Amino acid sequence: MGSISIVGFFSPTMRAALYRYSTMWLTEVSFRYRRRDRYVIEAAEAHLSPGDVVELTGPNGAGKSTLLRLLAGLTRPTSGAVTGRPAIVGYVPDRFPTGQSFTVAGYLRHMARVRGGARWEPWAERVGLDGFAGVRLGELSKGTAHKVGLVQALMAEPGLLVLDEPFAGLDRDTRDALPDIVTEVAARGGIVVASDHQGGMGAVDGLRLWSLRSARLVEHPPSSSPPSSFPPSPAEPKAAEDLVAVEVSVPARDLDGFLRRMRDDGYPARALTGEETT
Amino acid sequence: MIALAVFRVAAYVRSHRAYQALLPILFVIAIVYASRAPRGSEAAALTDSAVLIIPFLAWAARGLLDTEPDEQRAISATGVGGGGREVTAGLLAALVTCAAFAALTLGCGLALGLSATPSREVVIAAVVLHALAVLAGVALGALTSRPIVPSPAYSIMALVAGFLAMLLLGVTPAYWLTVPVTAWMKAAGAGRLVAELPELTVISLVWCLVALGAYAWLRRGRP
Repeated sequence: MGSISIVGFFSPTMRAALYRYSTMWLTEVSFRYRRRDRYVIEAAEAHLSPGDVVELTGPNGAGKSTLLRLLAGLTRPTSGAVTGRPAIVGYVPDRFPTGQSFTVAGYLRHMARVRGGARWEPWAERVGLDGFAGVRLGELSKGTAHKVGLVQALMAEPGLLVLDEPFAGLDRDTRDALPDIVTEVAARGGIVVASDHQGGMGAVDGLRLWSLRSARLVEHPPSSSPPSSFPPSPAEPKAAEDLVAVEVSVPARDLDGFLRRMRDDGYPARALTGEETT
Repeated sequence: MIALAVFRVAAYVRSHRAYQALLPILFVIAIVYASRAPRGSEAAALTDSAVLIIPFLAWAARGLLDTEPDEQRAISATGVGGGGREVTAGLLAALVTCAAFAALTLGCGLALGLSATPSREVVIAAVVLHALAVLAGVALGALTSRPIVPSPAYSIMALVAGFLAMLLLGVTPAYWLTVPVTAWMKAAGAGRLVAELPELTVISLVWCLVALGAYAWLRRGRP
């Protein structure tokens, strides 16, 4: 499992900020909910260096959210350890809890005080929340509520930013802005880990690709080719004669994410070459 | 941590759950002090009110701790710097809220519910018992809150059963096995409250701290 060295890309000021954070380690991390349950995550080994951006994929129910909660320190591993976690953690759940009796501004003011007086207004403006300050959380659409979740996590300049399905429900402007925001967090030395079914993180340079499958954490090489250590999927046909070829057109920017999702589900997907499409 | 406690109290008040506890507490005040306690039974009346508000303080603490949606609890934990601080902030918020309810009860009792002015020692004993009632209520409410008992039906049954256990064990020789609320009332009725207060306080305090410690320990695996 490797990480990408990014120190060389930064100015001296950025580099100074980078060194505020240490490397985070997952050592033999296993987790199960109850004593006799099967392991959701088994013997996960990984390290995360300052500036790393990780996209975590896997089928539904694979344990992605559980792994994110372990990384964020919200859940304790059944065995093993997560060490070197940065002091400031930003966590964005896949569904922001709107069942709270606050307006957007009231809620973010409280969260800013909890964060020691962080400034939330610039982030609210950046993700397009400035027009919703007086709206009650319960009246927000899913995507707008998700932006509130993003702002509360970003306002304190987290050393570790954990995003659970960050693109779900977001409008196009915010979807386009999010990779830049993630890049900025990484540029000042923060670690970003995001589970993503939409392939929206593909635009981030140096993206590390993790997937969870059968309770095992696997890191893909940057080329996004499927790892050889994957066990065969139940969905994968056994004989060549069982295979049928289908043609699907996807926007070029979504290609990597689409192929990853198909491979996560056990289908040997590949992009057609120029000759094959003509 | 203080900011998170303030956030939780604000959420509790804004959600109107506070009134679900305030109304029955006002009801208890009205029942206990409807006819002014006769001269000489000030200690008994004040002790009765301290005991009778415990389940409603537990209800208030449980309501406050359950106001936050589960995912908000996760957000709060990362915001405040860890699950331990989130648990502490929640308990602090519950203690402040229950202390306000207990102060209201005691204040109404002293101002409106007694025929004669109680002695200084009785007032101090009443303050101590109401403070212990706050701790007992917070501990019982915390142990029946959603992270510990996810089912609302079992949670309410556990809360009521916990208070009944305190009452019933308190009349047995094994009264020291729980917060001995019945022993409080027996001592007050017999005019021995001031004399027995140190022993009753130690037993009550130990059990409250054990219960709060158990809650904190259980929350380690129930974020």
